[in-house]
Amino acid sequence: MQEGFIDYQKVLENEEHAIKSTQSVIQKAIDWFRSKSMFVLAYGTGCGAIEMPPTFTSRYDIERIGVVGMATPRQADILIVSGYCSYKTLKRVIRSYEQMNEPKYVIALGSCTINGGMYWDSYNTIKRLEDYIPVDMFVNGCMPRPEAIIEGFVKLQSNIKNAKKEAGYIKYRKDNEFYKNNQKKIFGDKIEPSYEANFAGMNQ
Amino acid sequence: MQTNRELIKIFHGPQHPGITGNMSVELDLLGETIKEAKTHVGYLHRGFEKLIERRTIIQAFTIVCRICVPEPDPNEENFARAIENLAGIEISQKAKYIRTMVLEMARLASLMLWMGGQSGSIGLGTIGQWSIYDRDLILDLFEELTGGRVYHMYIYPGGVRRELPIGFLDKLSQLLDHLEKRLPLYDNVFFENSTFKKRAIGVGVVNKDEALKNGYVGQVLRGCGIKRDVRRDNPYLVYDNLDFEIPTFEGCDVYARAMVRRQEIRESIKILRQIVEQMPTDGKIMQKIPKHRKFKIPKDDTFVSVESARGEYGFYMAGDGSEKIRRMQVKGPSLIHGFTLLEKLLIDEELSNVALIMNSLGICPPEIER
Amino acid sequence: MISSLKKYYEIEKKRDTLFKTHIEKEELLKTIDFITINSNFMTLSQIACADWIEDEVFTLNYILTTDRRDKNLMIEVNIPRVDSKLPTLLNIFPQSEVMERDLHEMYGIDFIGNSTLYDFVLEDWKEIPPLRREFDTLEYVNKHFNFRIGREDNRDVKVEIKRRRAEAKRLKNANK
Repeated sequence: MQEGFIDYQKVLENEEHAIKSTQSVIQKAIDWFRSKSMFVLAYGTGCGAIEMPPTFTSRYDIERIGVVGMATPRQADILIVSGYCSYKTLKRVIRSYEQMNEPKYVIALGSCTINGGMYWDSYNTIKRLEDYIPVDMFVNGCMPRPEAIIEGFVKLQSNIKNAKKEAGYIKYRKDNEFYKNNQKKIFGDKIEPSYEANFAGMNQ
Repeated sequence: MQTNRELIKIFHGPQHPGITGNMSVELDLLGETIKEAKTHVGYLHRGFEKLIERRTIIQAFTIVCRICVPEPDPNEENFARAIENLAGIEISQKAKYIRTMVLEMARLASLMLWMGGQSGSIGLGTIGQWSIYDRDLILDLFEELTGGRVYHMYIYPGGVRRELPIGFLDKLSQLLDHLEKRLPLYDNVFFENSTFKKRAIGVGVVNKDEALKNGYVGQVLRGCGIKRDVRRDNPYLVYDNLDFEIPTFEGCDVYARAMVRRQEIRESIKILRQIVEQMPTDGKIMQKIPKHRKFKIPKDDTFVSVESARGEYGFYMAGDGSEKIRRMQVKGPSLIHGFTLLEKLLIDEELSNVALIMNSLGICPPEIER
Repeated sequence: MISSLKKYYEIEKKRDTLFKTHIEKEELLKTIDFITINSNFMTLSQIACADWIEDEVFTLNYILTTDRRDKNLMIEVNIPRVDSKLPTLLNIFPQSEVMERDLHEMYGIDFIGNSTLYDFVLEDWKEIPPLRREFDTLEYVNKHFNFRIGREDNRDVKVEIKRRRAEAKRLKNANK
C-alpha cells in the first residue's frame, strides 16, 4: 500500500489493477463498460463541494477518465456525499439514492463521514454514514485534494472491473432491514416512504 | 374554451444544478411565472455557536474558519480581532500588512469563483473552465504560505502564525502580472457579450430608496449607485494607508452588480501591488500571549466587522472571565439578502431567471445557518 | 449627534466607533423610535443574544448603524429566562423578521406581533431550544448516535500520561 502523494498515472499502470477476474467473457465486458463511463449526480451536500469545481474543470480534468456531471437521479450512477450530513440533508440523500437506477455506487469524501470529524459533539450531524446507506469508497482528508479524489475514482473503477467487493446496492437489497432500522431510529415516524417497496418479487 | 389554470408548487430544491450551495426555494408557479417564493435553509446546520461554547480559544480557532466555505479568511480575522479587543492586545505593523494581503487574496479567489457560477447560470461554460484555473493558481500560493488550499488557519489572536517564505513576494508579483494579462479575455467573452446583456439588463431590480433602511450590504448597494464599504467607512488593519477606489454603477439590476464586481477585481490587484511595495521587513509576527489554558477573556462584549467579497460580515462576541468564550454570534451578508430581498425579487419573474438572480446577489447558505 | 443623544440616555464609549447604552424592557419600542428619528442611526444590523444562566437573564443587544455606516450603537436589554416576551420590530425594520425567527428557535423567546415564527434551521426538533445553557449537546449525541470502535492501541490520554510519568519515575529511581 503506497502512502503519501500518489501519481495517478502510476496507479493506473500498477499491476494490482490487472488481476484477472473469474467471470464469464460477457460479464467481464459489461463490467469494463460500466467502469469506463461513470456519471455523477450534481449534488453538493457539504463543505467538500468546494473542491469539486477544480476537479471537474481544466486543471485536474477528470473527464479523461470518463466522469461527467448529470442533473437528475434517474440519469446518474454515482452519488458523491461530500462532507458532513445533517438531519435534513440525510433525508434527501436517502431519497435521491433510492431513486437512482441500479447499478449505483456511493463515494464518501472527508473525515466527517467516517467518524464524525470535527463536529463530533454536534447535535445535528450524523456520525457514521455507513449505518444509513451503503458506501463503496471512502476518501479521507479535510477536504480531499483533487488528486485524492481522482485516486478514489480510479480505485473504484478497478473494484468495479474486477468485481472484487460486493457492490453496495446488492447489500442494500439483502440487508434492507438493517438500514431501515437505523433510519427509523433517527427519523422516528417522519421517515419518507420507500422507493424499494417490493423486493420479494425481484430476483438477484 | 376556458382552461382552468391553477398554481403548481415545485421545489427548486437542494439537489439541482442551478443553485448556489445546499438550500432550496419553494415556488408557486402559474405557467412559467412565479407568484410566490419561500426560502428554506437548514441543510448545513452544524450548531457552531453551541460547539464554540465548549471550547477554549485554540480549540475554537480550528473550526471557526469553516463557517463560510468559499471564503474562509474573514471569519478568522473577525475572531482574532474580537479577542484582541476584549483582551487588549495590540499587533505589530508587519502582522497587519500580512493579514491584509491574505484577505485581499481571498477576495480575488472568491470573485473568480463567482464569475464561474454566474456565467454557468446563463449557459456559458467556457468562463468556468478559465476562471477556476486562475483561482487555482492563487490557491497554490496559499498552500505555500499557510499549508492548506482551502482552510488556512493562519490568523490567530496576536498576529499570524508563520513568517513569509523566501521569494514569496516575487511569486505574488508574477501571479498578478499573469492575472492582468487574462482580464481582457474575460471582457471579450463575458462582460461585453450581447447575450449576457440581453438577459441581465432589467432583471432583478432592487428598490433604491429603501435599500439603506432595509440593511442591504455589499454589491447590492454599490450596484444602485450608493457608495458604502467598510474598508472606507470604518477602516481596520492598514486600509488607511492604501490608495484604492470604491466602484459604483447605476442601474440596480444584475448587469450593474456584475460590472461592479468586474471593477473590484482590478482594485484588488492594485491593492496587492501596493502591499508588495510597502511590506515592512522587520517586526514581530506574533505578540506574547498567555498560555493555552491560562488565557482568560475578561467579562465584556464587542462587535467587529470586515468587508468580505459579498458584503459586511459581523461577529458579536461576549466573554465571562473564564478561558472559554461565552457567546459568539455570526451575521453574514446573505442572511438579509437570502430571505427578505430574494422573496421580494422573485415575484413575477420567469422560472429560468432564478439561478441568475441567486448568483448575482451572492447567496451562500453556510453563513446563514452556521 | 452622540452628544445630543447623551442628554436623554447614558451612552458609554467602548472604542472609537462603538457605543453602548442600557435600557429597560418596557421602553424598547419608544427608544428605538426616538433614536431612528432624531439621529443618524437608522438601520438595524444585528440582534444578538447571550444567555447568562447564573444571573437568570437573557441579554439582547440591538446593534444599530448610521446611514454612512461608520458608527455602531449597541442597545442592551435584559429579559427573564422563563416566559420571555418582547415586542417585534417588524413594522420599523423588515429585516428583523428573519433575525427574530432565528432567536425564537434557538432560545425560545416569543416576539409578540411576528406571525412568521416557524422552523428556521431545525426540522422535527422535540427537545428544548438548543442554545440554552441547560441543553447538554454531548449527552444528546451519546444517546442518539454511535461512534466507530477505535484501534486496539487506542487508550485514554490521561491514563496514558500517568502511566508514562510513573514509568519514568521508576526508571530514575532504579538508576540512582
